Amino acid sequence: MRVARWLVAIAILLILPPLLPSFLVVVMTEIAIVALFATAFNLLMGFGGMVSFGHAAYFALGAYAAAILVKQAAWPMLLGLAAAPFAAAAGALFFGFFIVRLTHTYFAMLSLAFAQIVFTVVFKWKALTGGDDGLLNVWPPAWLKSPLAYCYFTLVVVGLAMLALHAIVDSPFGYALRAIRENPRRARFIGVNVRRHQLQAFVLSGFFSGLAGGLFAFFNGSVFPDFAYLNKSFEPLVVALLGGVQSFFGPLAGAVGFKILETYIARQWPIYWPLFLGAAVVFVVVALPQGFVGLLQRRAWRTRTAR
Amino acid sequence: MDFVTSLFPWITNGPLIVVQVMSGLSVAMFLFLVSVGMSLIFGVTRIVNLAHGSFYMVGAYLMVTLAEMLPDHPLAFWLALLVAPLGVGLLGGVIEVTLLRRIYHREPLLQLILTFGLILVIGTLVLLVWGPDNKSVARPEALAGSVKILGQPFPSYYLLVLALAPIVAVGLWVIFYRTRWGMLIRAATVDREMLGALGVDVATLYTQVFVFGSLLAGFGGALSAPTVAVALGMDGDVLTTAFVVVVIGGLGSFAGSFVSALLVGELQSFGILVFPAVSIVLLFAIMAVVLIVRPWGLLGHPEE
Repeated sequence: MRVARWLVAIAILLILPPLLPSFLVVVMTEIAIVALFATAFNLLMGFGGMVSFGHAAYFALGAYAAAILVKQAAWPMLLGLAAAPFAAAAGALFFGFFIVRLTHTYFAMLSLAFAQIVFTVVFKWKALTGGDDGLLNVWPPAWLKSPLAYCYFTLVVVGLAMLALHAIVDSPFGYALRAIRENPRRARFIGVNVRRHQLQAFVLSGFFSGLAGGLFAFFNGSVFPDFAYLNKSFEPLVVALLGGVQSFFGPLAGAVGFKILETYIARQWPIYWPLFLGAAVVFVVVALPQGFVGLLQRRAWRTRTAR
Repeated sequence: MDFVTSLFPWITNGPLIVVQVMSGLSVAMFLFLVSVGMSLIFGVTRIVNLAHGSFYMVGAYLMVTLAEMLPDHPLAFWLALLVAPLGVGLLGGVIEVTLLRRIYHREPLLQLILTFGLILVIGTLVLLVWGPDNKSVARPEALAGSVKILGQPFPSYYLLVLALAPIVAVGLWVIFYRTRWGMLIRAATVDREMLGALGVDVATLYTQVFVFGSLLAGFGGALSAPTVAVALGMDGDVLTTAFVVVVIGGLGSFAGSFVSALLVGELQSFGILVFPAVSIVLLFAIMAVVLIVRPWGLLGHPEE
């Protein structure tokens, strides 16, 4: 039954793109990338109870690593893309080493501070990153250049990455992470090395965020310092919150809703988009702490127990 | 010594150092005004108000509007400097009563996310009200020029900032340590539940503290408006620097904010001389060191 459901989902994803108008193929590609970014982020927030306010740093490290290797070092695209998650993971290891020593507020704010550093470095290091102008013409090779081909490529890469993330969440490591989220002191008593688990989660989360960044660089055809800015750090947070942080697929659902909204609202009224985002976050926090998926789940659970 | 002078050519230039120290002190004043409010709000309500930089920005923008609206009179500037912070205090009060009050009992993470969301909301509203272009505020006529200090030019507006700094610091000290309200605030920092059990209306105290903290940020923004380009990115810049100050000093510590603002102000002032491009990175590096050695800050207390 479960397997059947999965096969149906995969079949739909494979059949759907050619049937969609080309503009929606592009939106679908972007949804997949955002879903990966938000799911990687949620490994920390939902399962580890650690909120990073600077995840754009790892997204940007991935995007810039891929773009720089392809543009400045003339690497082939696939190699550049493969390097992206490792560059981001290296950054996450370095910053994470300091960040996981802290809890809650301090954790969130130090991650924000490091993202600000990444942004500043990217912005100022003109020779390598192009500074404010970014790096342009970072396109995939001819066989991936059509939106449809890149959409399939992204779906496959994101699908594999999501499988890996799901396996991580479902592993003993994932359960140790949940234990740490619920009660770090108790987790330590039963022999879990809290800090090491947190750092591993941080690096893994950075790894997949970097992969999302690399995919986005070739999707976008260019990279800009904005990728490391506050607004970008908001994105996975909002997406995960909207979708629900308690479930693995919450961020995926959130990404679909978020991108559809963005496609319509941000195109029509670009100025109001951040206002909408911020207001959505405030609303979800005050009124719907479980996210929309959480709301549906709770309703489903209630009807089931009522029977 | 030759090596040192070749590396830092200004080190033998006494007057330049004096002027640099003074401009560092005025930077410290702005930093202190934001961070003490942020620290105060955290101490009492346990909420880190990420929108504090946004309040600072709103203070500066209100100054722009008031400077345009008020008639051309020598006293107009001072009136604006008084009214702009009150406007920000009002904004803070509205936010506390309508939003923050609902989430005091919830997880700290949700509180952070909420104030994070407010950054976007306030930022966009400022864009809609004041537009995307940078604004500037004229300095009052008496303070528009510069004075010579040991032969070095020094903007006289900064003298005002330097003169206000001790007044603000002493004023806050008197409020915190010599009034009943200040005593309640300090008591709330130590044990809020006990304070409530003793019959103090804690909810009202929270609102007052939030308004007061916002007001200080607004004052910082208004006072800084004539010294900078009033621009949309101010909120993020101010937030990150104020955060560095608060973390180095210790969240919730009044003296910590003061000492750390001085330290960071001077560091910024001299950092520009020594490492122009990376002074901000240096700042964060110092914060990282403090966080590793003393995560609760120089003068703060460990979280229980």
